[in-house]
Amino acid sequence: MSRTIPFEGDDAPKSAPAPLPPRRRSDGERGSEEERWVLGAGRAGPTELGRSGLWELGVPPGWWRATSLDLLTAGAHRISSLWAERDPKGVLLRALWLGEAGTRGILVRTLLDAPPPRVESLLPELSPALYFEREIAEMFGVEFHASPDPRPLLLHYRHALPPMIAAPDRAPPLDERSRFDFAPVEGEGVYEVPVGPVHAGIIEPGHFRFQVVGEEILDLEVRLGYTHKGTERLFEGLDPRRGTQLASSISGDHSVAGAVAYATAVEHALGHPPLERPTEMRRGALLEVERMAHLLGDIAGIVLDVGYAAGAAQANVLRNEAYTVLEELTGSRLGRGAVAVGGLARPLPREGLRPLAARADAVAKATVALLRHLEERPSVMDRVRGTGVVSKEVARALELVGPVARASGLDRDVRRDRPYGAYRGTELRVTHGSTGDVEARLRVKVDEVVEASRLFGTFLRRSGEAPAVPPAEPPRDGPGFGVGLVEAPRGELLFAVSLDLERGKLSRVHVREPSYLNWPAIEYAVHGNILPDFPLCNKSLNLSYSGFDR
Amino acid sequence: MSAPRASSSASTSTSTSSPPRSIKGRPEGGLGQVRGELVTRPYPEGPRPRFPAAMRTPVHDAARCDASGACARACPSEAIEVQARGQGEGAVFRLDYGRCTFCRACVDACPTQALSATDLFELAVRDRRDLVLEHRAGSRAPTAPTPPTSPSASAMLTEVQERVQRLFRGSLSVRAVDAGSCNGCEVEVGALTWPSYDLERLGIHFVASPRHADALLVTGPVTVNMRLALEKTFRATPDPKLVIAVGACGISGGPFRGSPEVLNGAGSSVPVNVWVPGCPPRPEALLYGLWLALGRLEQRLERGEVPAARSGSGQKA
Ligand code: SF4
Ligand code: SF4
Repeated sequence: MSRTIPFEGDDAPKSAPAPLPPRRRSDGERGSEEERWVLGAGRAGPTELGRSGLWELGVPPGWWRATSLDLLTAGAHRISSLWAERDPKGVLLRALWLGEAGTRGILVRTLLDAPPPRVESLLPELSPALYFEREIAEMFGVEFHASPDPRPLLLHYRHALPPMIAAPDRAPPLDERSRFDFAPVEGEGVYEVPVGPVHAGIIEPGHFRFQVVGEEILDLEVRLGYTHKGTERLFEGLDPRRGTQLASSISGDHSVAGAVAYATAVEHALGHPPLERPTEMRRGALLEVERMAHLLGDIAGIVLDVGYAAGAAQANVLRNEAYTVLEELTGSRLGRGAVAVGGLARPLPREGLRPLAARADAVAKATVALLRHLEERPSVMDRVRGTGVVSKEVARALELVGPVARASGLDRDVRRDRPYGAYRGTELRVTHGSTGDVEARLRVKVDEVVEASRLFGTFLRRSGEAPAVPPAEPPRDGPGFGVGLVEAPRGELLFAVSLDLERGKLSRVHVREPSYLNWPAIEYAVHGNILPDFPLCNKSLNLSYSGFDR
Repeated sequence: MSAPRASSSASTSTSTSSPPRSIKGRPEGGLGQVRGELVTRPYPEGPRPRFPAAMRTPVHDAARCDASGACARACPSEAIEVQARGQGEGAVFRLDYGRCTFCRACVDACPTQALSATDLFELAVRDRRDLVLEHRAGSRAPTAPTPPTSPSASAMLTEVQERVQRLFRGSLSVRAVDAGSCNGCEVEVGALTWPSYDLERLGIHFVASPRHADALLVTGPVTVNMRLALEKTFRATPDPKLVIAVGACGISGGPFRGSPEVLNGAGSSVPVNVWVPGCPPRPEALLYGLWLALGRLEQRLERGEVPAARSGSGQKA
């Protein structure tokens, strides 16, 4: 074994190999010991994980923090997700780190086998770790040493045991609600505005606590978890082929993306042969038309919240048209039940694909026309310009994903950076902005509708004829663990699946919805804005509550 | 196919090309012009629409059923039960539209084509039991009828319904409450306000506060964490009030049924007057449910089936 981590496999996509950069050394620490994990110190070094294009690396718990921070600072990797899994010997922690486009992701794992499970927190250096660690703490009872915020995240009630360790056998009674303290803000003229969980519109539940002076928002803290359904636990023990419905119900407004990410993870874990090209193309077509519908909803929301109802109505007409196209293809307006492990649940219609492409194209043209129309209306543009700014620095620190990240100038898109399925070998135009305000998000989303309609047409044309229905018995010779990364309309969506290959059952499914990374952005976006602009900031970020809470 | 290029790249703001001409202030290809036709669909006032692309509602033919149980095994929602009975009695096939997520897996799995997929969408009912179909496999005769609704309960239901119809007829203010949905139902509930469905043309509108509401539209399985908020919302709604449970989740917990973090539907926390199946129910199915709540349409489904007498228009007033 060489002394550097092979970040690149021979068959991995081009791009310069990224040798592990000089390691960060602190306070006289010398290299020999630190390098031990690289060499494995008697353990296995990084190993290739099936076909998922990942390296897997096991470290002892004591190295968890150092390894992670090395990847972050010296290795220029960003964390995609951090999750836990029950293990006969304790609790297994896993983190997926992603480097530059085209490089392999690194999956770091550590086994906390000495009870009680305990490990050093990755805070404050790694901001996104805050939610991950709070969730793992409440769900698995892992103690994150020196965590600055040990409050629960999703659970509002006290449980006798962490629910992912031992499933509760009853719903906790109302008087067992746990305490939750919002960060106080003090000073003359500061007052607090509590909002939610039941909101005024037709939207999901969550609680916002504003600290306001006059009309200006000093601070906002979000409390979520209201839609927590224990979904990850529900996957356990299922036949992997039966999990697509739950995967589509993480965030129903991107049902297709959820099902594709899940199916991809399961296919890797099972050792499924690569899908036939036409099948990949069909999945790609569904993903893109879903993206159009979803983003048009965001556009409608922004326009509605600046008070321009006619513009919003137009965007919603277009959105409905995109859903109708999806229904023509799948039988469901939201594309539910369309994707199966190993392919699609049933073949797409063979007839009438060309008119569908033309309809998507018309929607894209009308979306651009709508943007031009809005540009002529100062009352609209004044409201969106400079509102709800998420700076590039903030976006990077929080590791935002999707159109929100791109509007703030982060050029990242899974479809291009880690192409999967239909996107392999497909040219893709990724737009990004720089101002990070509502206007930038509006423009990025309009651009993405246009690009999505182009891809939709391309994929439909290439989808040809092929058996779309998956084989009855999936293979079982894979590594038993797989990851699916998909660019959902909200951004990078991750499913990680562990299988009990012998019994053919799911043993752990972890999902990290893009909103999980993006939610903190709202607390930054509203700073210095006035309270009435909050809905506008909110709609432009379009965060999924259910995707966060699951 | 050529795609238009959106010239904006967010940072660099507007395009250099001149904007397309607006017709009377409307963007080109504006309202009603996407496909050159009116966008608002006439349902429920006009004829019942068909959805040939969306054949997703399973319908069971007892005569063809050989009780193989393949459907029950394929169903991801535990909506089908095939139960062997004593000797000579034949197996019982049970389908609960309140749990069904309309995925069609059972139809694909059925070896004898006893299950077929239709575009039946007017599935909303006032009595939860009308969502459950029970057949004796292989027989044309109906199963022994389930005992009718207990007189006191049904009298109460009728009373509420009558009062509500008398008071609200023609107009209804609805407060949507998400009790932990996956947000799929929110898309379709929200769609009712789009020009395509334009709920307000029917005199129904969504209000921001439960205090202004006549009806609550509850989506989601009712999570443990939303239980209190739902109960408070219900209490804040003035009497008389209607509760409409939406989607597989709102009726039975849907895909999340059985999780210790959910209470398996709105009925766990508040009294429900109308149940609207779907995952999610399409906008027309929601419109049907709302009109049913107002008593402006007749219920089509009875014990899980559309009786022959009701296969017509079903329109009342
Ligand atoms: S269509 Fe309904 S009954 Fe049939 S398999 Fe799907 S959920 Fe089950
Ligand atoms: S019924 Fe289906 S679409 Fe509606 S909330 Fe439940 S899972 Fe989502």
